[in-house]
Amino acid sequence: MNADTASRASNVERIKANALPLAILVIMAIFSLTEPAFLTPGNLVGIARQVALIGIMAVCTTFVIMTGGIDLSVGPVLAIAGLVAYFALQADLPLVMVIFAGLFAGALVGFVNGAIIALLQLPPIIVTLATLSITRGAALILGGPEQHLIRDEPAYSFIGAGNFLGLPSSIWIFAVVAAAMIMVQRATPLGVLVAAIGNNERAAYLSGHSTWATKVLVYTISGTGAALAGIIQSSQVHTALATYGPFGTELDVIAAVVLGGTSIMGGNGSIARTVLGVFFLGVISNGMNILNVPIDVQLIAKGTIIALALALASRRQ
Amino acid sequence: MKLRPATSALLFFTALVFAAFSVWAPRFATATNIENLMSGFSFIAILAMGQAFPILVRGIDLSIGAIVGLAGMVVFDLALIFHLPGYLILPLALLAGSLAGALNGFLVAYLRLQPFIATLATLAAYRGLTYTISGRQLVPGLTTTAITDPWIMGIEAYFDVGGWLGLTKWVNMPWIPLSFFLMLLVFALFQVLLLMTRFGRDIYAVGGNEEAARLAGIRTNVVIVLAYTLSGFAAAIAALIMVARFTTSTEALGTGMELTTIAAAVIGGVSLAGGTGSMFGPLIGAFLMGGILLGLTLLGISQFVQQIITGMILLAAISNDRLLAIRRRPKLLAISSGAS
Amino acid sequence: MAAPPLIRGTDLSKVYGTLTALNNTNFTLMPSEVRALIGANGAGKSTLIKILTGAIAPTSGTVEISGTPVALGDPRAMIRNGLACIYQHANLAPDLSVLDNIFLGRQPTSRFGLVNTKAQRSEAQALMARHGIEVDVDVPVGNLPTVKQKEVEILKALALNARIILMDEPTAWLSASEVTKLHETVRALKSTGVGIVYISHVLDEIFAVCDTLTILRDGKVVAETDVAKINRPSVVELMVGEKLARDSAQASSKNRHPRGTGEIGLSVRNLTKHGVYRDISFDLYAGEILCITGLIGSKRTELLQTLFGTVKSDSGTVSVTGAPAVFRKPSHAMARGIGLVPEDRHRDGLMLGMTVTENLALATLAKFLHGLFLSSKGMAEAARASIADLSIRPPDGRHEVGLLSGGNQQKVLVGKWLNLAPKVLILDEPTVGVDVGAKAEIYGILRRERERGKAILVVSSDLEEVLTIADRIAVMVSGSLVALHDAGAIGSKELVREIGGIAA
Repeated sequence: MNADTASRASNVERIKANALPLAILVIMAIFSLTEPAFLTPGNLVGIARQVALIGIMAVCTTFVIMTGGIDLSVGPVLAIAGLVAYFALQADLPLVMVIFAGLFAGALVGFVNGAIIALLQLPPIIVTLATLSITRGAALILGGPEQHLIRDEPAYSFIGAGNFLGLPSSIWIFAVVAAAMIMVQRATPLGVLVAAIGNNERAAYLSGHSTWATKVLVYTISGTGAALAGIIQSSQVHTALATYGPFGTELDVIAAVVLGGTSIMGGNGSIARTVLGVFFLGVISNGMNILNVPIDVQLIAKGTIIALALALASRRQ
Repeated sequence: MKLRPATSALLFFTALVFAAFSVWAPRFATATNIENLMSGFSFIAILAMGQAFPILVRGIDLSIGAIVGLAGMVVFDLALIFHLPGYLILPLALLAGSLAGALNGFLVAYLRLQPFIATLATLAAYRGLTYTISGRQLVPGLTTTAITDPWIMGIEAYFDVGGWLGLTKWVNMPWIPLSFFLMLLVFALFQVLLLMTRFGRDIYAVGGNEEAARLAGIRTNVVIVLAYTLSGFAAAIAALIMVARFTTSTEALGTGMELTTIAAAVIGGVSLAGGTGSMFGPLIGAFLMGGILLGLTLLGISQFVQQIITGMILLAAISNDRLLAIRRRPKLLAISSGAS
Repeated sequence: MAAPPLIRGTDLSKVYGTLTALNNTNFTLMPSEVRALIGANGAGKSTLIKILTGAIAPTSGTVEISGTPVALGDPRAMIRNGLACIYQHANLAPDLSVLDNIFLGRQPTSRFGLVNTKAQRSEAQALMARHGIEVDVDVPVGNLPTVKQKEVEILKALALNARIILMDEPTAWLSASEVTKLHETVRALKSTGVGIVYISHVLDEIFAVCDTLTILRDGKVVAETDVAKINRPSVVELMVGEKLARDSAQASSKNRHPRGTGEIGLSVRNLTKHGVYRDISFDLYAGEILCITGLIGSKRTELLQTLFGTVKSDSGTVSVTGAPAVFRKPSHAMARGIGLVPEDRHRDGLMLGMTVTENLALATLAKFLHGLFLSSKGMAEAARASIADLSIRPPDGRHEVGLLSGGNQQKVLVGKWLNLAPKVLILDEPTVGVDVGAKAEIYGILRRERERGKAILVVSSDLEEVLTIADRIAVMVSGSLVALHDAGAIGSKELVREIGGIAA
């Protein structure tokens, strides 16, 4: 039976390998034919800037999904990281410490997620659902319901709103994070271990690997990624707010990862393809915005596209 | 049906929580508060019971909140744009919710999509559909128009049960909302369906061991579709109760409900591993969550801390579920399972 | 004209990826016939059974029941046609009661569609009385011990009142008296015209209850005969194939190295885990193959798990090359030079979705580390070496392991542990579900590693295998080591007696 599913998987693999880049090109062609404004450098940079935040989170949470897990807590982590950074700024800490504090908040939530999931063997969906609620509560206690304006902090503002070599700095950060994570996947033991755990956790353990340490690490990476996105966002909009990263953020992030071909059941996946998934969603929503497609149709289109993509790619065993 | 140890533990814990709040939280054990609890959480309990069906067949319904929104908007449109009478609106709304649920089931059973992903996709799609058909967008003037149809508004009725029974002479009794009775009706219906019909046995069989069910000649795909349909059906009932409460509907009706309902079902002992649990657990789970939230509010604890406490309760519930699962596992398995 | 056969399967084939599990097989079963279906592991028995129950559809071929073609790959069609199956592994819904499992999918209903528990109960009680089985029908099946689950499985099939009953190793978990009772049931069913397909590894049972015999090897029928017209040695020879029988006879006559180099690799003293195994003591020498054999359920696997650090013992000591060792997890055992090739390669051994190269490197990732990074070049080179060394086919490290045949998957798994260069290599049922050719190759690999000075411990219930490769043979019976022989000094007959727990 396994040989059977495997051979089917290889056909699906072949379709998956080329479908996404092709789909992106086809959709871009359609958009640029119907609306010349689409294929301008300005708009393309705009797409990249729009997807940078979701992209960073998706890239950092791909490993979690590859291990067969899920991280629903990214939204509130994004919010709390911005708030922590804001208060660190208020305390006149040096910029490095400010960023570190923000990232640490996210890493901490991720670490707690991973520790509970790995050590107590609880279902990731519910654990991160619980920490979603807890983290949001903590963010609200920390920041209250009001906006915290970040003024006169040019260095901090550069993180999200600056320009470097003609491109917004958030795009650079996304690029660097994506490149680093692709590197981690392709060239470090972590990449192999994550795939191994997703494929067959028991066998990974019986091959002498510490599966719980790996799991804790991947959730920590996911939390850190969400925190980085939170810092960038607060810097972009000069505001920290406890309700940033509203409900639905986590679903967008997961959608991008899964569209990139990572199986929600864990196992095979690719960070490079997650980046493609991110751009696929970004291109669609940008194109529909340019064409003035109303928000409701956009939602339906998004749902339909995800369902279709998955009907092709990630069938249940 | 004997009470499973998990269920009685939950009941005991719930009683403990309610007793504690009655002692320490001012006005917790008052008629008004109990009325609030019943009117505020009966529809949550209905949703949690609906959600239990997909979970029982080892799935999940993330779109349940979006179906609430969709069914709510169907009611809004039919009442305010098409001016249909209420006795037609009610079945049509239930039909809309059931169809939306059936589509989920179709995606899961026949297209063999992961339930999590399939219902995540339909969550977006149904919410989008709700915006598309929204009478609020199509006919701007309707935003402030209240729904007045007696059939629908009748759902928001309260009964002075204490008065009829003559109990009010001794103690201040809460007026019981119709939604609470509706909830009991849904409970009775679903519980009979689950525990006393062949369909119910099939649900447990599919959730417990889908291959064994298939080899026993059970139409597993039909069972799965029906499980999701029931979830959509429950969502439509909840939508009716909410629309009656607010006398209107919005595009955002039901947002976030999926998480609350999953939490209530899991707290109520419906195992995410499938095949375990009944309707009683989600019902108690929903009111336990409601009691805690109302109690904390009465204690003057901020909304923010309440979110933290809700998360903690959820963690405690699944830890307990996990413990029970380990204890249930036959010894032989426990020995041979190496991975930690 | 005679009645048409109950089952007539024609030209049935099933191809999984590169593996042909069943190759143009014909199969018939007449009313009142008990037909034994035997063959080594991986010979295609399960595939044939799965086709007959409708669990899978064949790649080609047809099945007629009582002369009428039936839809394939549809369990409902088979049940409708009066076919029931006692599955090897209990196929039950764990949270439903015994009662509901017996009537799974077809509970009798009363008015309003409610399940009629009373009717269910009385029918089940009658059934149990008739077949001498006693189970509490109200307990959830998941709470029952495995033996009882097996009885429920049997009841479930009998309750269907089928005309055709498939029994896939029905006695695997049963006690001797229960086996006798089951055989009485088989004879009683037969007398009412029911046709039965009986699969078992225990030749005694086949000669006791079966009329006819179909032997499968490598997905093909190699013999079809009356049980009365064949003797045991020929059955075994047909099952394993003449060449292997000859090879194994040759190999076993020479080349034995009891106690190998005389240097102790692994020493176990008084190892006990309450209720599982007790007072196990033996020495495993470098340069020898020690086989532990015994029935399923003799706790051999649990013993191995202790030696590899996944199950804790209650008392006793283990030492590796003379130094005491305590393992709390596999990495501890690996650090001391122990490798374990697990029995279930899909569940415990391989990453089916990952490449051959990755699988081969998985136990030894640290070898390929340069600073923080993995050398993919190093991994590919090592994989090439292993592939050549073990003749893994196809010889390409980039293939997904899930696409290989069972034998080549097993070689990848063995290769993964050889890469660790262990002093002690433990293998649990190393050739289950492996074709005959690959089997011989794996034996070759084990002999070669023995010559290279490894201490090799093999657990196997396949006597043929034990007699073929062992230098010494230990026998385990319900948690105890009861005997330890030099391989040349004991024949299969005595071994069988010892395994069965019968004093010589």
